Amino acid sequence: MPSLALGGLQRWMQAVIVHPAERTREALASSEAAALVPPERLGDVVLPSETLDPAERVGIYHDMYVLRMEEALESDYPGLAHFLGPERWRQLVRGYLEAHPSRSYTLNVLGRALAEHVLAARGVSHAGFCRDLARLEWAIVEAFDAPETPILTEASLTAVPPEAWEDARLVPTAAFRLLSLHYNAGSYLDSLRGEEHDHPLPRRSPEWVAVCRRDYAVYRLPLTRPSHRLLGALAEGRSVGEAVEECLLRSRPRPTGDQIFAWFREWARSGAFQSVEV
Amino acid sequence: MNRFGIPDLGVGIGLRPVHFGQILSGSPEIDWFEVLSENYMDTGGRPLFLLDQVVERYPVALHGVSLSVGSTDPLDREYLRKLKELARRTKAHWVSDHVCWTGVLGRNTHDLLPLPYDEATLRHVIGRVREVQDVLERPLVLENPSTYLAFASSTMTEREFLARLAAEADCGLLLDVNNVYVSAFNHGFDASEYIDAIPADRVVQYHLAGHTNKGTHIVDTHSGPALDVVWDLYARATARTGLVSTLFEWDADIPPLEEVVVEARRAHAHRRTAAATGTEG
Repeated sequence: MPSLALGGLQRWMQAVIVHPAERTREALASSEAAALVPPERLGDVVLPSETLDPAERVGIYHDMYVLRMEEALESDYPGLAHFLGPERWRQLVRGYLEAHPSRSYTLNVLGRALAEHVLAARGVSHAGFCRDLARLEWAIVEAFDAPETPILTEASLTAVPPEAWEDARLVPTAAFRLLSLHYNAGSYLDSLRGEEHDHPLPRRSPEWVAVCRRDYAVYRLPLTRPSHRLLGALAEGRSVGEAVEECLLRSRPRPTGDQIFAWFREWARSGAFQSVEV
Repeated sequence: MNRFGIPDLGVGIGLRPVHFGQILSGSPEIDWFEVLSENYMDTGGRPLFLLDQVVERYPVALHGVSLSVGSTDPLDREYLRKLKELARRTKAHWVSDHVCWTGVLGRNTHDLLPLPYDEATLRHVIGRVREVQDVLERPLVLENPSTYLAFASSTMTEREFLARLAAEADCGLLLDVNNVYVSAFNHGFDASEYIDAIPADRVVQYHLAGHTNKGTHIVDTHSGPALDVVWDLYARATARTGLVSTLFEWDADIPPLEEVVVEARRAHAHRRTAAATGTEG
């Protein structure tokens, strides 16, 4: 067999390494790989060692690929990996890598499409719950890596004249994320914090949550439906007056003024906003 | 001194997030840190904030895994731009990566994959190293990889490939002594001959690490202390190069900082010997 030029050699080796088959010999026989190097000619391309034949040597890279990706995704999705267990997690990762291979120099963004992928993935029970869990964990990842922006200070709040608040707009920080979940994903993540393994069963139960970062620490703020509605309107750029009015109109029971002030205090304290535009 | 005038920073360790607290609260006696470039290119969060503090206290060098200098895909210009910016921000003494490729057709396997060692590949890599150096405006420092397979089309040894690459692209070398041992075991070559063939004046940095022997082959896992035989190879290398910045890597089951530092300090004895025999870098 004439030797492959460097480009062909690299296309062949990559086709084998990233193939989702568990067994390397199956990956070597895949149509993409075999078109470049027929399996029976492998010895013309890769040398044996004293202890390993060429297929076993390629297999070292093939096996390490999935392990490395699994490890990277698990660091972003510890809750989802825990919920699925090793077997189903590995199956999910293999399918995900086939659909969404890494195309970046960094592994930081590898998991960005997992929440959508999980809905249609084979072998995943409670897919809706898994999607919500993945959405929440990815929001935490994004908040962790977001650019640092200033946090709204007490001084800038008190500098706003009372009559200006109605038209004022609050600017969220770069790390701020707001989620509306259909399942109890936040409660599940909470249950992973301690040593106990008493996790809630997945159930359809709406949860609203904001993810914020302050002093480089990421916080999850549980919200109610009205507070989520208000925070969402503010984050979209509505004025404080418009957002509060809409929240009061659409919420039953209506939140009280004291409740709304308490929400604002907590959001400001947690680093949800960077500035107020008057 | 190496031909680039890059200083000997002493004995350092790889900067790992698990050690940030101990490093910043205790200012441990470590000469320098090696920073994994890709971990800090796209974050504006805590890692970069802590890195900035480390940089205020210690000298650093950048070490990357995604340059893919041997790939047939075009070089990633955005990656190079960010790498240059990170080097400026951290006042990195040098920037290193590996003699390998990581993917083609726009994909990244995030592995350091082996190259065939032949003339065509050498010419290809030389051109790309020059391109990278033009962008970074500094010499690139390239590490010998640990490899688990060898290509039938290779027409020269890895050490010949490295020596010619360094000379013709005018780049520096990061000699990973553990990788030499790992690859020597996996391919059946003589590690001492490899060490002796490396152009001493191009060695800017050493790597030392532990590995995992699977019986049929050795995997470069960066776990545990380095074997005595790896330290012996390091001694042999420093006898040729003199004092060169040395770094201990520990990436699997990372122990407390003190344990990594104790292992790294074993390098000092060999460095003293190198200095005493008059081969000062």
